[in-house]
Amino acid sequence: MTTATDAQTRIPASTHEFADVVQRLEAGGSMLPDTPENLMQIIGIYKAYAVPMDFYWRNLLYIAEHVFLNPLPAFKYFLPQEYLDLHNHYAGDDADLRIWRGEATAHPELLEFIEKGELNQKLPKLLHHLWHDRINMEFAEACMRSMFWHRGMGGQFDPYLDSDEYKANTDRAIRAYFQGNPLMLGLYNLFPDMFLEQVRELSYYANLGLFWEVMAPVFFEMSDLYDEGKITTVPEAMDFLVNGIFAIAGRPIYHHVYIRGECYEIVPKSKGFMWLYEAALPYVEAVFYRTSPFRGTKSYNAQAKQVPTDQTEFHYGILYADVFPVGSAGIPPTLLMQDMLHFLPPYLLDYYNQYCRGEDDMLIQLGISFQRSMYNVTSAVIQALRTALLYPLDDPNPKHLMANRQFFETQLDRFTRPEARLRDVQRQDYR
Amino acid sequence: MLSTLIWFPVLGAIAIAALPLRQSKLVALTMSGFVLLWTLWIAHQFDFTNPLLQRQEYLPWLEPLGLNYQLGIDGLSLPLLMLNSLLTWIAIYSSQEETERPRLFYSLILLVSGAVAGAFLAQNLLLFFLFYEVELVPFYLLISIWGGEKRNYAAMKFLLYTALSGALILVAFLGLVWLRGADSFAYEALMGQSLPLWIQIVLLSLVLVGFGIKIPLVPLHTWLPDTYVAASTPVAILLGGVLAKLGAYGIFRFGLGLFPDAWATLAPGLATWATVSVLYGATVAIAQKDIKRMVAYSSIGHMGYILLGGAALTALSLVGAITQMVAHGLILAILFHLVGVVEAKVGTRELDVLNGLMNPIRGLPMVSALLVLGGMASAGIPGLVGFVSEFLVFQGSYSVFPVQTLLCVVGTGLTAVYFVILLNRTCFGKLDNAIAYFPQVEWRERVPALILALTIFFLGIQPTWLVRWSESTAIEMVAATPTVTHSPIAQVSD
Repeated sequence: MTTATDAQTRIPASTHEFADVVQRLEAGGSMLPDTPENLMQIIGIYKAYAVPMDFYWRNLLYIAEHVFLNPLPAFKYFLPQEYLDLHNHYAGDDADLRIWRGEATAHPELLEFIEKGELNQKLPKLLHHLWHDRINMEFAEACMRSMFWHRGMGGQFDPYLDSDEYKANTDRAIRAYFQGNPLMLGLYNLFPDMFLEQVRELSYYANLGLFWEVMAPVFFEMSDLYDEGKITTVPEAMDFLVNGIFAIAGRPIYHHVYIRGECYEIVPKSKGFMWLYEAALPYVEAVFYRTSPFRGTKSYNAQAKQVPTDQTEFHYGILYADVFPVGSAGIPPTLLMQDMLHFLPPYLLDYYNQYCRGEDDMLIQLGISFQRSMYNVTSAVIQALRTALLYPLDDPNPKHLMANRQFFETQLDRFTRPEARLRDVQRQDYR
Repeated sequence: MLSTLIWFPVLGAIAIAALPLRQSKLVALTMSGFVLLWTLWIAHQFDFTNPLLQRQEYLPWLEPLGLNYQLGIDGLSLPLLMLNSLLTWIAIYSSQEETERPRLFYSLILLVSGAVAGAFLAQNLLLFFLFYEVELVPFYLLISIWGGEKRNYAAMKFLLYTALSGALILVAFLGLVWLRGADSFAYEALMGQSLPLWIQIVLLSLVLVGFGIKIPLVPLHTWLPDTYVAASTPVAILLGGVLAKLGAYGIFRFGLGLFPDAWATLAPGLATWATVSVLYGATVAIAQKDIKRMVAYSSIGHMGYILLGGAALTALSLVGAITQMVAHGLILAILFHLVGVVEAKVGTRELDVLNGLMNPIRGLPMVSALLVLGGMASAGIPGLVGFVSEFLVFQGSYSVFPVQTLLCVVGTGLTAVYFVILLNRTCFGKLDNAIAYFPQVEWRERVPALILALTIFFLGIQPTWLVRWSESTAIEMVAATPTVTHSPIAQVSD
């Protein structure tokens, strides 16, 4: 761990708008100020996020691997027991790398919620589903679509989806899936690109599912460590994420489909697509930064150039999100907030009850905590990239420290636009 | 019987002021609640078919002066008495728990209630004048002590204007009695006698200007925006909901009732005056940036409909005018109450600052919804009480003054314009992060608006419960004024 003095004493002070944040990053800290209140909020939210995430990754993989091109996927969110029992590769006794000390199967709180829902009553699954008393997979799909829609955010996975090899793999799987179905096969012959695009989307289902399979146990473990008093500061929480990112970086990203018991490798593991570059970084870019304009109470006029023409300049992610108007129905982050609401740890419930409107606006308060926590995750990604691409924070060479500084400042430039919430999360009274 | 409506609040005011009661609000609420129930009971006993005064009370007082304690109700005064009782209770209920000097505050409100009830009931011109003047001082104190910014200026302006109003009315009353050589100020005794038309016109003009200040009508209105804006919410409810109606009541009771020939002569001018008020109030309201001031100007416009209905003097238009008094009182009360809640929670009334209050989690969703309802009622949307009264006025007036009526219909359209502006900027749009930490609206604050909203809605879909009180009286008043041309389509009996 470095100290602030390494960079501060060897190179001139930053003149960036967020100079204090730059200084904090150079000291090995997070964009989020290190306060016990911030730590409590982000850890509590990580835990509340991880439980639905445990459902998201399982369901995403189920859709990618089994639902596949079902033309009427009405029951795609009805996760079979097989996938609830599916072992997470980073939890449980048989883990490839045990990040969380808990069970490899679905989290107990998740199982309890699936059974009884918010109604706390065991009813037929269809009723819970229609009443929206369930985990909102629509949020997970919105994140996936965001990644798929932006595409081209670096890495090899996305270009591979346009390769002849991928098309051949896809063709084989599609023909196997529709075997004995002349109608669908006829449609496939007529509109092959449409089906190919569908499978590309399903490959992103798998991509995001494999990404979240890692993140869920990471967040569970952080929550447990916090409860045990082993994570006591925001930088420690960020370092845990950075270490996790590096430990898992090489995890393969693939897309397999199971048709009548046979496995079709759409994106084979052998391609060597790595979790960090093919899933984590595109996810952060697409979901944290870009996404698409909210369909909320704020409307955008594209003709008046309120929406950038260049997708790379989109800035509608959680780091920019105006969480207040998101309280309206139907917007994906709202659905996530609703999901997290069911799994808040008691200390966070008590905390929210003390501020603003207590229980009545908890959804917004936790949304803002989520925003804080994602600034911490983004900080971890920035520090991980700096570690991978640049120099240590205690490097004795001032030129190297200056290169680090420029990297940090370039990253923070993305938050100088007025919509960015970096300014807000510096204040504790932003709730 | 009727005296209870006057003296019970006065006794309550004295009790609260004199006795060391801690729960002065509770006492005031109980007193005003009893008066409200008593009024409803009187209404229940009221004979709709009888156009004449009912439940008369008489006590000789200063007979050499022609001043006697003479009370009675008819279809003109009863709806306004009910409005007064209801809005007094609402005003007391909606006042803040932490009101400073609560004993004085609630005493003054009860005093106002008693005085206004006395004015509505008085059947002696001098007795009316006494009650009319008595409410002036409590209102002055209520504005100057518990008002907002510029309260002293507003209170002084109110005092000067309404004192002038009282002086003009007193001159008219004295002139009437002296010129007729009457020995009493009894209303019924003065009704039957006639004076030369030009004298009637002079006296009626004094009455019109005197009560026109109170309503107020353009250009006598300049005290109103300052006073309504400076007054606290409960006082604004009483000012707009009750006091303005006292002006309209005075014009009909004493202007139309005592000078029918002059009224018929001046009717076209009155209709035009009403139209100017309607259009002026609406257009100036559109230009406002302060929502309370916008509601205040809307009041000027809406009071114009009452004068139009009176000027047309068909039974239908007169019923519409009386109905409009009640409807406007209810609508103005809900709007002032809601504006007060918005100001208390958000800390501003500025249209340029307010936004997104409909937000279900951090906004004021129920207040916004009720504000939408109040705006719709004021704009005369069918199904709400505002539609009933405005439709009756327009339907009754068109046959007599078609141009003025059509221009007033345009005024209704303009009402919709400024309420759309108000609601669009206040309730809809994006809630501003920087200010969106409003305290929650408590049920205590919602109750007055809910009661008013239910009343507005109920009377909108069941207007008979509103118009039946005044039908007979309106027909009788029209019949007593033979000179205004009536169209068959305007007969209420149709």
